Amino acid sequence: MLSDFGIILLFILAAFAFISLVLFGASFLRPDRPNVEKMSTYESGEEPVGNANVQFNIRFYVVALIFVLFDVELVFLFPWATVFGQKTLINETKGLWGWFSLAEMSIFVLTLALGLAYAWVKGYLSWVKPQQKIPTVDTKVPQSLYDQVNKKYQPKAKASQPASGTV
Amino acid sequence: MLPIILLSVFGIVLLFMGFLKSKVLLLPATLVFILAALATTFMDWGKTYLYFQNMLLTNNLAILFTTIVLLSAFMVVALSNSFIEDEQAQPAEYYALLLFSLVGAIMMISFENLIMLFVGVEILSVAMYVLAGSDKHSPRSNEAALKYFLMGAFATGIMLFGIALLYGATGTFVVSGIKSYVYTNAYGVSLLLYMGIILLLIGMLFKVSAAPFHFWTPDVYDGTPGLFTAFMSTVVKTAGFAALFRVLSVSFVGVYSFWWGTLAALTCLTLLIGNVTAVYQTSFKRMMAYSSISHAGYLLIGLTALGTQTKQALVFYSLAYSLATISAFGVLLVVSRQRQDTNGVNENFDAFNGLARQNPLLGFVMAVSMLSLAGIPLTAGFWGKFMIFTTAADKGIYWILVFAVLMSTVGIYYYFRVIIAMYFREGAAEPVKVAPFYRYVLIAATILTLVLGLAPGLLEGLV
Repeated sequence: MLSDFGIILLFILAAFAFISLVLFGASFLRPDRPNVEKMSTYESGEEPVGNANVQFNIRFYVVALIFVLFDVELVFLFPWATVFGQKTLINETKGLWGWFSLAEMSIFVLTLALGLAYAWVKGYLSWVKPQQKIPTVDTKVPQSLYDQVNKKYQPKAKASQPASGTV
Repeated sequence: MLPIILLSVFGIVLLFMGFLKSKVLLLPATLVFILAALATTFMDWGKTYLYFQNMLLTNNLAILFTTIVLLSAFMVVALSNSFIEDEQAQPAEYYALLLFSLVGAIMMISFENLIMLFVGVEILSVAMYVLAGSDKHSPRSNEAALKYFLMGAFATGIMLFGIALLYGATGTFVVSGIKSYVYTNAYGVSLLLYMGIILLLIGMLFKVSAAPFHFWTPDVYDGTPGLFTAFMSTVVKTAGFAALFRVLSVSFVGVYSFWWGTLAALTCLTLLIGNVTAVYQTSFKRMMAYSSISHAGYLLIGLTALGTQTKQALVFYSLAYSLATISAFGVLLVVSRQRQDTNGVNENFDAFNGLARQNPLLGFVMAVSMLSLAGIPLTAGFWGKFMIFTTAADKGIYWILVFAVLMSTVGIYYYFRVIIAMYFREGAAEPVKVAPFYRYVLIAATILTLVLGLAPGLLEGLV
């Protein structure tokens, strides 16, 4: 007789066996004709640029933190819902159980909402836009002359070229 | 368990009080909140209650430890008037975090379920990580917060692993359930239990900064703003030892022969490292960090020689240590802020030069607190050490007693350096200005130290 852990072990072994069978089986059966485009990272043709280990903007962390907070809240709601809806408990207490568990959950959710309100009022949710630094040149030529030249020699926008390239 | 609920609600209230234009109300409100929590703590006096489906247990010992923790917090908050003047400080957030960390401390003191211990440790630690880095513009404060966070998170992980192994061995998280498991299987205890005890001990000893898990202490205590260092070295330590005592004296007393040797070795190591390294410090704050390591060693003696007298000794010692530490940091705070050198605040020994001549009161407060920490008679620290050493003598562990006495003579050397600087050195001519309320708090702590030193029987028979 297998114990509960024995069944889990069987599951793990079966998973390994299945994966290796499918992957090796497929590599034996399929034709193998690689070319440069097939070997690229994205089949859509997007070329990867630079390293993935770059510094992220600190603003993302605040959003991530608040997201995790509400994600965890949601996880708590699921087991609560099964307890909340138990018919036997509700019948035994003549409906008091439902009100009790509802009140408990509202206290929990309200406390988290207070936290969100705090972060909101403090301004942690507003997405601070970076100030654009427009380069200035110390020269006697007036700005209007530059604008004229820029307008005259403005590259004609091609239909295929993305708009961002011209700015 | 009203204080836990009250402190949580008060913390949220304080957060939102921070939106008021005036910051004047914050400090008195926090003091009132802590006093209210303290008052409700005593509602359970003389009884033993289990709360929240056997999650928490209150008895007289837990109430006494809670009182020490809340009293320390009250004094630390009362010394925090400098926040109001500081433009960059966020007093509402600091006070709220202090109250939240007190919730964690009370959970650590009165847990009955090991999960509650873990939750309490986390609540206390996370608040302390933030407070360690509260001086956002100081690189030292940032370094302290990062160091404390990384190492503390690791230690908490080890502790949680220990709790999981204990569950694997005994099938329960409840402290008294583990006790009955140990007693019913006295000769065939599972190996998992031993592993669990060791890992749990490592996690907790890290929190109370016992050697060899003390490496974070000097840097963190040094970099953290002085006020929060005072909080850290009193509240966290008291709560940590209360938790250690509960888990060792209830759950693991049946396997005393297994863990006492390990704990005795760590005690001696802690005493040695704390006292000997403190001698070489030039910064007073760093010296206090090593002194807190050495005091963790003295408290560990009480646990190593676990007996009937241990709880009384631990309560008395924690109270004496907290009072002396807070008044020492209180004096350091005003002195270091007003006698600045080229690097900003001066926290070295030479900041105290000639202090007793210009400020006889500050000098006296500091002298009493140093004497108490060194364990000189007529102060509370002496009776604390006396009781701790008595537990070791009762248990017949004389070698640890001899070692501890030797180490406390080393302690006299570095505590007296401050007294010598204050009374026998020439220093700045202008006296240090002290706000009236600040002065009352320091005087109260000093008087309590002296009263406990003259009448140590006051706390007798309470636990």
